[in-house]
Amino acid sequence: MIIAKDDLPTFLDGLLGTYQVFVPLADGGESRYVPLAPGGTFTWQGVNTRKPPKEILFPQSEVLYSYEVGGDRVELREHFDKTKRVVFGIRPCDARSFLHLDRVFLEQEHQDPYYRERRENAVMVGMACLEPASTCFCTSLGGGPFAADGLDLLFIDLGDRYLVRRVTPRGEALLREQPALFRPAGEADRLAAREAEEKAKSLMSPIPDLSGVKPWLDAGFGDPLWDRVYEKCIGCAVCTYLCPTCHCFDLTDEAEENQCVSGVRIRTWDTCAFPLFTLHASGHNPRPTGKERFRQRVMHKFRYFVENWGEAACVGCGRCIINCPVNLDIREVLREIMARAAGAGVSA
Amino acid sequence: MSKQEELRATARRLLAENRVDLILGYTAGTLPLRTTPFFARTPAEADLLVWNAFCEYNLTNYLPRYTGNRVGIVVKGCDARSLVGLLQQNQVQRERLYVIGIPCAGVVDRRRVALLAGGAEITAADITGGEIVVRGRGFEKVLPMEEVLFPSCRRCRYGNPVLADVVLGEKVPERKETYEDLAALENMPAVEREAYFAREMAKCIRCYACREVCPMCFCKQCFVDGTAPQWLSRWVGTADNLFFHLGRTMHLVGRCVDCGACARACPVGVDLMAFNRKMIKDAEALFGYRAGLDPEAHLLLGTFDPNDPEPFLFRG
Amino acid sequence: MDAGPEPKIVGFLCNWCSYAAADLAGINRLQYPASVRIIRVPCSGRVSPLFLLTALRRGADAVLVSGCHPGDCHYTSGNLVARRRFAMLKSLLEFAGLDEGRVNFTWISASEAADFARVTTRIYQRAKDLGPYRGALRKESGVPRRE
Repeated sequence: MIIAKDDLPTFLDGLLGTYQVFVPLADGGESRYVPLAPGGTFTWQGVNTRKPPKEILFPQSEVLYSYEVGGDRVELREHFDKTKRVVFGIRPCDARSFLHLDRVFLEQEHQDPYYRERRENAVMVGMACLEPASTCFCTSLGGGPFAADGLDLLFIDLGDRYLVRRVTPRGEALLREQPALFRPAGEADRLAAREAEEKAKSLMSPIPDLSGVKPWLDAGFGDPLWDRVYEKCIGCAVCTYLCPTCHCFDLTDEAEENQCVSGVRIRTWDTCAFPLFTLHASGHNPRPTGKERFRQRVMHKFRYFVENWGEAACVGCGRCIINCPVNLDIREVLREIMARAAGAGVSA
Repeated sequence: MSKQEELRATARRLLAENRVDLILGYTAGTLPLRTTPFFARTPAEADLLVWNAFCEYNLTNYLPRYTGNRVGIVVKGCDARSLVGLLQQNQVQRERLYVIGIPCAGVVDRRRVALLAGGAEITAADITGGEIVVRGRGFEKVLPMEEVLFPSCRRCRYGNPVLADVVLGEKVPERKETYEDLAALENMPAVEREAYFAREMAKCIRCYACREVCPMCFCKQCFVDGTAPQWLSRWVGTADNLFFHLGRTMHLVGRCVDCGACARACPVGVDLMAFNRKMIKDAEALFGYRAGLDPEAHLLLGTFDPNDPEPFLFRG
Repeated sequence: MDAGPEPKIVGFLCNWCSYAAADLAGINRLQYPASVRIIRVPCSGRVSPLFLLTALRRGADAVLVSGCHPGDCHYTSGNLVARRRFAMLKSLLEFAGLDEGRVNFTWISASEAADFARVTTRIYQRAKDLGPYRGALRKESGVPRRE
């Protein structure tokens, strides 16, 4: 389908009656997802937002349930977020991260109902990348600047209009809510979209072949590589908290100041980068130094997740590269692993 | 010889003569406007060391990890003051260190450059003379260096290292230290100031990059991570974030040297310097104290004078 | 008594002086505001900035730290070390936007029961004038309360 650029604010405004709409907004040298106000629109600063849209489905802090002890019983009240949302302007790399989050939270024996409620009530609308950044490497991880995985709709900027790819019935239904704004795409539109896609792909940095990473990691737990590769890591959570696929969390009970008769259980992001993540009550820490913690991050993304789900828990968005306080570049780490894999004759 | 060549020669010699086990320095980064910390262990690796205005990291932060080694370390003026702080607090042993001081005229504030360049991705940056040239897809922009230096650098009085075994290159002119950066905040009504800090704190994602990158944050366990008592909630919101930053500021009173590493590390651009700057200003005004100048000096809050001022006293 | 909510004031009092002064005020039947919740500490030097932040974070409208007069510390110099810390802390908190009058420091010896009553009464009045503390440390952006 095709929508004129001039009609986009009308389309977004039209959603506000039913949905809370998140759009990227440029602010002080970065963009971030913010709830759209009536008459508002989206603006980009940089190729992608500083923080991924992950937190719209999986907030950094959330209340799971509240409790109250009274007499001989405990009353529990669960907090589900059933707000209907449209997230507009998602880059294809971030869209792909939702598939990884779905696996963790939905596709196992036990579903996570808090994530599920948000996920099922959210329509994901993507925006293809016309000019990927030099730090983007989505194509190395099964994605691409025009990929639609994880999305319900994909918008492609064709100058004065958007070509809208309908990816799921849910996406199609969203368009049907305001049919007057859309017309069917013609051959010229489709051709323009294909050209834009080819151009975007040509702008991507050469694709490093990561096929040897997993086989090397399978045998590389004790390799001397880990003694040095983490060395400049300062042990902060920038890479994990800004990662669209990182999903580790912590649960804590927050009692109110009333002899603990009531309170809430909260879920907050946690990270393998912190010593506290694995610290035992005994005082023993199975990952005592930055070396073990850094290795865990690489292993989880590029070995364990591949073992469990057949794909790496990385979408190549480049946020950890851009924002690392000491320029510890995951691409360099992967390159070093690939070099060792080649030297050791390991192959996929 | 350029400072960088001098640095490489010095590092090569130290490693070849086995005077140190490793050199803590900088090497080329993977992004424009960046270098990256580098740990050179062989004379050949010494040739990978670089020195330029993108050497923004305070490497003294790594020193407490290498107490068993003889370390050569590259320090700028601010880093040297951090080193003095670490010596004051017995976190490093002077006799195991070889300090390579480099007079520093300031490091580049990469976020400011990005902002001034208009937001498009910068793919290359070169410094020539007093200017920085940045390029990206279809644009080139020339900016005067003075405009893109990190705020701490623009007011830095101690560009020349206060402590070093060797100083490479010419001294840099001493800048005038001012507290003009605080004036706007100090002149605000308290309620507006509170609103300003609330907005800043709301951005914080508690990744603790500020803490991890700070040479003075060497506690084995930070107060935020303790559970008995649990000082603050794991909930990430304005109130607990402010609690963290106020607590951290108090821990840095008399120790922070305004190197700015925390502000450069912050991924979400929280104004991390205002609290510390206020404390630096007060320490000087009330007690005539400046951090990181004398390894033999007591820490500001570790000592007292019977005649200390009591500006805070409430007599009812 | 004025209308309006009663302020909560947390007082960290040194065991060797101000705490005894509070005691003596009671013995002498000197009135001081019941809004002051007293926490006995071994020395004003024991009072960490985190104590005051926690009190404000969790419901106090004003805080007071009171120790021995300089020179009279039971441990020789605990209050002198604390004095520098408090100078910086009060300046920091007020710079962060806290109203003047919410953080209070003073010296009161064991015999100065009348001073204790007067100082706490003044702090109470100021806290009452300021109204409940609803600042950034207390923002309901913290953990949501049970519904």
